[in-house]
Formats: sequence, structure tokens, C-alpha cells
Amino acid sequence: MSRLFAAAPRHRLDKLWPWLCAASVALSLLMLSALLTLLLVRGLGHFWPATLEEITLRSGSVVAGQAIRETPLPQEAGVERLYFKGNRDVDGVSWHWVDIDDITSRTTPHDLIRLERAPWGSFIGRLAAVETDQQSLHGHEAWDYLNNALTLPANQRPPGQLLLVTAQGETLRQPLDSVSQALAPNAMSWWQKTHTWGTNVWQFLSEGPRAANTSGGVWPAIFGTVLMVILMSVIVTPFGVLAAIYLNEIAHQNRLTRLVRIGVRNLAGVPSIVYGVFGLGVFVYGIGGTLDSWFFSDTLPSPTFGTGGLLWASLTLALLTLPVVIVATEEGLARIPDAQREGAVALGATRLEMLTRIVLPMATPAMLTGVILAIARAAGEVAPLMLVGVAKLAPQMPVDGEFPYVHLERKFMHLGYHLFDTAFHGEDVQAAMPLVYATALLLVVIILVLNLTAIFLRHYFRRQRGSEC
Amino acid sequence: MLASLDIANAPQAPVTHFSSEHCALSIEQFNLAYAGKSALRNLTLSVPRHRVTAFIGPSGCGKSTLLRAINRLHDLNESVEHSGHIQLEGQDIYAAQMNVTELRRRVGMVFQTPNPFPMSIYENVAFGLRLQHRLPKRQRDDIIEWALTSAALWDEVKDRLHRSAWQLSGGQQQRLVIARTLAVQPDVLLLDEPASALDPISTLKIEELIRNLKSQLTLILVTHNMQQAARVSDYTAFLHNGELVEYGPTDQVFTNPHLQRTENYITGRMT
Amino acid sequence: MTPSRVPASYQPLRQFKNRVATGLITAGGIAVLLAILAIGVFLFWETLPLLALDKTFAFDKLSPLVWGTLKAALAAMLFALPIALGAAMYSALFMSARLRSRIKPTLEMMEAMPGVVVGFIAGLVLAPWVERNLASTLVLLVWLPISAGLAGVLWHMASSHWHRRLPFSWAGLWLVPWLVGMVALAVWLTPLLEQLFLGGDLRRWLEQRWGMDYATRNALIVGIAMGFAVIPSIYSLAEDALADVPLSMMEGAQALGASRWQALWKVALPAAGPGIFSAVMIGMGRAVGETMIVLMASGNTALLSASPFEGMRSMASAIAIELPEASPGGFTYHHLILAALVLFLFTFLVNTLAEAVRLRMRRRYHKAGHY
Repeated sequence: MSRLFAAAPRHRLDKLWPWLCAASVALSLLMLSALLTLLLVRGLGHFWPATLEEITLRSGSVVAGQAIRETPLPQEAGVERLYFKGNRDVDGVSWHWVDIDDITSRTTPHDLIRLERAPWGSFIGRLAAVETDQQSLHGHEAWDYLNNALTLPANQRPPGQLLLVTAQGETLRQPLDSVSQALAPNAMSWWQKTHTWGTNVWQFLSEGPRAANTSGGVWPAIFGTVLMVILMSVIVTPFGVLAAIYLNEIAHQNRLTRLVRIGVRNLAGVPSIVYGVFGLGVFVYGIGGTLDSWFFSDTLPSPTFGTGGLLWASLTLALLTLPVVIVATEEGLARIPDAQREGAVALGATRLEMLTRIVLPMATPAMLTGVILAIARAAGEVAPLMLVGVAKLAPQMPVDGEFPYVHLERKFMHLGYHLFDTAFHGEDVQAAMPLVYATALLLVVIILVLNLTAIFLRHYFRRQRGSEC
Repeated sequence: MLASLDIANAPQAPVTHFSSEHCALSIEQFNLAYAGKSALRNLTLSVPRHRVTAFIGPSGCGKSTLLRAINRLHDLNESVEHSGHIQLEGQDIYAAQMNVTELRRRVGMVFQTPNPFPMSIYENVAFGLRLQHRLPKRQRDDIIEWALTSAALWDEVKDRLHRSAWQLSGGQQQRLVIARTLAVQPDVLLLDEPASALDPISTLKIEELIRNLKSQLTLILVTHNMQQAARVSDYTAFLHNGELVEYGPTDQVFTNPHLQRTENYITGRMT
Repeated sequence: MTPSRVPASYQPLRQFKNRVATGLITAGGIAVLLAILAIGVFLFWETLPLLALDKTFAFDKLSPLVWGTLKAALAAMLFALPIALGAAMYSALFMSARLRSRIKPTLEMMEAMPGVVVGFIAGLVLAPWVERNLASTLVLLVWLPISAGLAGVLWHMASSHWHRRLPFSWAGLWLVPWLVGMVALAVWLTPLLEQLFLGGDLRRWLEQRWGMDYATRNALIVGIAMGFAVIPSIYSLAEDALADVPLSMMEGAQALGASRWQALWKVALPAAGPGIFSAVMIGMGRAVGETMIVLMASGNTALLSASPFEGMRSMASAIAIELPEASPGGFTYHHLILAALVLFLFTFLVNTLAEAVRLRMRRRYHKAGHY
């Protein structure tokens, strides 16, 4: 202590300020890693088959379920624990708060099973028997029969019923074709759990949402996001490059060009929601409404193009990302030495030949970077899409076997909006939370990968050029 | 060859003039202003065919500007205005019916820093050819070999024609640029301080190349290196402040200049 | 030896193509530029009908939104500015070059974090936690800077052996576990203090003593979440500005006997001032326009309250929620477009200001011959 304070008093705080600055960096890193860890753990942990517990309460009632989390009791000492017990068809709720002091016994029996069913979500309890037309199976036979039947698609399974018993002792009958997954997590080995985890992740990526977005997957949202982003890049790339070439190579470099350049740069900072408003007013109501009155007047007043849809969303996002592409391409063009242009022109090349043979190939990495950054930005944008075309649950995919195969006027699902909607407007947010985490993780991973690709490309091309210079 | 060499009143230097059959390029009363600022004033000069003519003068004297004007490179820049005439083999290069790309093919230009394109050595030399003609591969290969040989580069690169041109050394790059220009077979070759960014050995190679090339075409060399001008050129023009001060055979300009200003510059008393 | 000259074959076509392409690029380029600049024109045009209506009414409906927007942006800036600028100063002037080349891209990646994810974490994870641990949260806001200072004091007391093992130029990294420990300590200790002094429940105490309501999603949450979102853009630009300050200037000051911090404070900061200003402006622009975070973390109550524990509704989130339902041409429609126009003008002006300041700074350095 003495060494620090022996310095002149003026210097005393001077030595501590830098530590606050260092702590700022540390805090930023801490927040970022906390966020990513949370997403990773919760997003991926959900797919791991969780241990099922059977607890007996002081009142004598028995609950079987998965322990979710613990919180201190409000106003008094003690802790309560939240259990997910499924069985919404039996007693109306699938969650149960238990005061830890009330628990008299806590076991993890191997015969507890968890079923995923079509109408009522999860069932947690025991399998008593399988009844088919010819026979009634019990115990291991029943379990094996069930697992065999589940390898078939639902409509090819032999008719039959499951006789299920809840932890409370109530029995219910479940048709075999309504079950999508059956697990006995307590009896599974580590390897089996890993396998199930993989299957669950794959299902999440490849299936559509079920049970009001609380289970199932996000495939339509992935598809919608990707399709919209592809359409957007197809629109934004040529126009962005065209504008950049005009601005940098053809336009007279004067005060007006400088103003336009600053304007374009600043448009990148205009909030995305403003672009959404523009898209709604001009594309949807303006152009879409006109198209409807010209070509689709027979279906009016229900709009075809006069409402949010894939095309308008892509156009809006293309407009939103145009400045990104223009700025990146312009930077690439400006980095090309004039000597290259003069060299080409001095050999008798016309301006077009100079552009296409020398300048554009050299600016390609910059354009690519710009487009990838645009894609990364567009993939994460939700606000403008709320105005111009996403849907909670799109009844039809925007691409199908029906002529003209790509339906630009249809609404579509989007990962970001799906996340927002499930988390804030879902019926059972508690049940949907794990999937929301998984969706958030997926979105972050996609965007990080896109950004890393852009950084890598820029780095790679710079280094390549550097070594050759 | 010297058609007239008359003594004018001091401080005017005698005018060196070539008759039309010996003259590749003639500049008459040429003025050029850059963003309103005068860069070349009332320049009259004729350049002999199949000779090396050097433009010397302190930096900012307009020698590079004049070179670029002969190639009409200022066309890329809107703020440049000019008046007067430059005639290439009797044709006014600024005339309306003049085809600029054809002019630039006929007047090749090599810049201060080597600027090979980011492609292979072969493609660099083929660049101008591909713009002009659709040649069968055999014929194109022949021209490329010839151009590289003329630029004294063939032996060094013949085994790696399809490697990137940016892997060559600076001197090799500059000779590649010369070969690239030769491949389209220009009548005049403009060299804008071609050796100023190179090491002494590369510089000597370039100078030797310039001397060898004059059997094929007319060369104009801009340089700030007096020894280089003396070593390489047949005629020397001294420019100062955008005006032509003295123009004559190199030997005479360097050993016995007519004007004190020229002598001051050549002896290093004025930079 | 010289090959015979081949006559050029398709000259007129080349000229024609060149002329057509140049024309097309010009037309296309101008069209694209006009299209993006048309956004402002459209917004102006669609707000015109409001002039025919009662103006004060439009103003009354807009004012809570403007207030909410400013409140959210202010909260975010209060949280983000010290952290972003501190981080910028440290990484531009104190951090080791190797660490810096890793940390800077990492923090810049934060910028790519989609607002909807940040908003979700803020609204559904952070907000309930803060509600349960309000006292700990408030204590943390004070305790973290103190603990950073504490780390400094301990470090200066430690032997030079430790100075080599944990050099200050890497402190940005090794302070992370220290901060984790300090957070844990605060979260563990605060309930005990709360028990001792405030009767165990800060929220009830606030309500009884000061009459402050507590909403789960409030300005505090928005401030932290949106602050997190704007830190990277402010940090990145401010760091660039500081790193651009010529080293010779810093060294000159230090040669005159100033400590590194004094050199930073008296020389580097004023020199980089315009750049830092434009960084703050751009962060402000982002905070004002961010939609999803405010939408998800603020509770969306259109209140005119200054309390940090109450929610708000910003212009951007009002547009996102209400505009899809508003019938085109109706009052709400035009009114929301007015909100969009205000957002547009504000961010455009702020960004132009930032850009102008940045350009001026660059020109000044040019003159000083430092570039």
C-alpha cells in the first residue's frame, strides 16, 4: 500500500484509472462469454435426455418429472423447485412447483418413460401394457414392441393402444400412431443418450414446429430465412455493385458525389424499422396494391401482393443492406491503384474493358465481403420483417410443387421472428423456452459463421495480395 | 537529318525541327491546364522517328504531363483543358474522328512504378492482344514470345509463363510492362521515368533495352536522371515551368547548351 | 523477326459496347442511388396529410414515444459509454499488441449479435433475475468499478514476480476471472446486507419509502441490454480514433515527465476527441433506432416516467407493433410514419455530424503530415 500512496497525490488516482479501463475490457468479454455460454448450455442441453425423478411429498402425493430449476421462496426461508411433469391431458397443467422441505423421498426409477405425443405434448409415467388386436403385451415386451413400432412412420404402424400409468396411479390409453418418441432416460447409457441427443438436434433442424411452437423443430423458419436471404442477395449484389461502380469509376468526382457518398454511408446507420416502414408504404401498399388491382382484381378485397410477403421482405432487406454493399465495394475499388487502370487504358482498352478485365476482378473480394456482411445483417434483422411479411406459422412453404413453384407473394417463417413470437406470444412460454434458446443459438451461430467468413475472406485476400506485391 | 538549325535571338534557343518524313510526332502550340492551373504553355516540338528523345527538367516542369497528353490519358480526368495540336504521323490525336483506344494502342506507355496486372505473365502480355484481335493460339503465342524477347525477358520467364506476374522482381516487372506494350505493336513508346523505382542493375538493363528498341519504334523518355538522358537519348528537350527551354541533339544540349538556364540545370546549379 | 501486324478486327463493336455499358451503369447507378435516397422523400410525403389534421393531437400521441425513445437511449448510453470508452482507451494504449489483435475482432463480433437474441435474453432471463436480485444488481453497478480499483491496488502492492506473471498489458484478459469472483461475492453478500439494513426487501422498501413502482421489464434492463448492443460500435470507432493518434505525440508528453495516463488524458484524448465524439454519436444513433431490444425488454408501456424501474415504449417499437395493424391512410398510419420520419431525420443528422467531424479530423492530421 505504501508504495502506491507514497507517490505524489496527483498520481495516486492516475494509477487506478487504467485499471478501470482494463476492467471495462474484461467486463465486455465477461458479458459476451456469459451470453454465449448461456445460449450454448441451454440451447444444446435441452436435447440431452434429462433424468426423470419420482418424488413423494409429505402430503403423500407422488410426482414424476424433470427438475428444471430452483428459486428461493418469496417472503420466507426455503427453496422451491420447478418440475416439468407433462401429462397436460390428465390434470390440465404440465408444471409443478415443489417446496424442497416437503419432499420425503426422491428416486430415479429405471421404468419411468417419457413419450412425445401429437395432441398433448409430453407424457411422463410408466408403460403398463401395449394392446393390439391380437394380444396384450406387458413389461419389457411392451417396451420393445413400442420401440419397434416407432421405427415405422405413423400411418404404417399396426393399430394398437398404449396403456399408460401416471405417477399418481391414473391410467390412460394412448393410440400408438399419435406417439412420435418414447424414451426411458433413466435406463439409458451415456452412449444411448448421446445418440438420442444427436437425433433430437437433427429433428430440431429438420422438422416443423408442433404443439403451438413448444416442441418440434424450426425447419420452415430456417428455410424461410435462407430463401429470403438468397433472394435478397440476388437483388442487392448487382444493384449495389452497379451503384458503387458508377459512384467510383464513372461519376465526376465533385462536391455532389461526395455528398451522395456521405448520404449512402449514413443510410447504413438509419434504423432498420424505418426501412420496414418504407417497404410497407411503397412495396406492399404502393406497388403491391397496384399489382393487385391490375392482375388479381378477382380475389380482392383479400390481397395477393398487397400484403407482406417473401418478395417485399427481400426487397426491403435488399434496400436496407444496399449501403453495406455499396460502401464495401467502393472501398475495394478505391484500394485499386490508378496505375492499374492507366496501364489497361494505355494498352488501348476501353473503359468497359478496363472495368471488366482489371478493376472488377480485383474488387471481387471486397464485393464478396460486402455481400456476406449484408447477409449477416439481414439474417439477424427482425423489426422490418414484422412489417413486410413474416408469419407465426406459415400454412404453406414459399416453395412447393405447385406452379410457379416459388411463391413470392406468400408469407414465410423467419428464425428471428419465430424466436420473438415463441418467447413473447406463445401460450406456454415456460415449455417453449428450451426451443427458444436453441433457436437463438442457431441464429447466433449462423450469423457468427457468416461474419467470420467475411473476416476470413478479407484477411485472406489482403494477405495474398500483400505477398505478391 | 537536321533540317534547320538557325540561330535566334537570345534568350531563345535554336529551334530543332524535322521534316515530315522523319517526324513521328509533332506538337504545335500546345497548352494544357489542370483544374484551371496552367501546366504546359505554348509548347512546340517535333520528335524524330526511330530515335530516343528525352524530356528533362525539374519536377513539376510538365514533362510527365506532356507525356500523358500524348497518350490522351488526361481524358480520364475531367478538370483538364487543352488547346493546340499534337500530331501523330500527321493525324491530330485530339481530332473528333480520332479513335482514342486505337491511339493508345499506337502510343504505348510505361509508367514510373511497374504496374503488371494481377494475372499470369502470359496473360499480362496477351492482355492488349486480346482486346484488339481474336488470334489463333499459335499466332498469339508467337507474338508473346516475340514481345518478351524484345523486352529481354523471355529467357528469364519462359519456364514460368503461367505464374503470377506479381512474383517477378521490380526490374523484371518493368520489362514485362514494356513487353506487354510491345505486344500490341505501337509506333511510339512513352516511358515515364521507367527506372526511377529500380535498383542500378535493373536500371542498366532497362537502358540497354531502350537503346535496342529504337530500331523498332520511336521512344520518348521522361527522366530526372541527367546521366540516364545522356546515356540513352539521341535528342533532349529541357522543360521548365511548363515551357520548352531548349531542344537539340543530346550531345550538344549536354556539352554545349545555348542557354545559361539549361547549363545551370544540367550542371546541378538549379533543381 | 517482327510479326506482321494483324489488322484490328472489331473496333466499332468495342466502342459501341463501351458506350452502351457506360450509359447503362450510369443510368442504373443513378437509379439505385435515387431509390435509397427516396426513403426520406417518401416519409416526408406520407406525413404531409398530418398537417391538415389537428397538430397538437399528433404531438400528444408522439410525446410519450419520444420520451420513451430518449429514456431508453439515455439508459443505454449511461451503461455503454464508460465501458466502451474505457475499453477503447485500454486497448489502444495499454494492451499488448498480440492480445489486441485477438480482442478487437472479438468485441467487434459482438456488434453482429442480433437484437432479437439480446432482447430475448434481456426480457426473459435478465429481467426476472434482476427482479429477484434488485439489490445485488444495484450493488454490482457500484462494486464492479471498486473491485477493479482494488485489483489495481493489490497489483501495485504485489512483488515484481507477479508483475511479470500477470502483466498489466494483459489485464483485460486475466481480470475476467477476478470479476467473476467479485460478482459472485457481491451476489452472495448483498442479501445479507439487504437483510440488515432494508428489512430484507429492497423493492418493498423503495415502494414504501419513495413510492417507486417496480416493473419487471424496465429502463434498467433496457439500459443494460441495449448498452451491451451499442458497446461494440462505440468501442470500435473510439479505439480506431485513439490508435490513430500519432505515437510521437504521446511520447513527447511522456518525455516531459507526464505519466502514461496523463499523456492519454492531456494529449491523446483531445487529439482523438472528434473521433470519439463521432463514435458516441453513432452509438447514440444505434440506440435510438434499435427496435427489438426495446420491444422485448421494456414492457412497452407508453409512460412519461423518469423512474429507472418503469418501462417505456419507444418510437421504433411502437412502429413495429402498431403499423401492421394500422389501416393505410388512417390517422394512426400517418402518425406512425411521422415517428419513422423523426427517427430517420435524427439518425441521419447524427450520423452526418459524426461523419463531418471524422472527415475534418482526418484532414487535420493530413495537414500535420501524420498520415
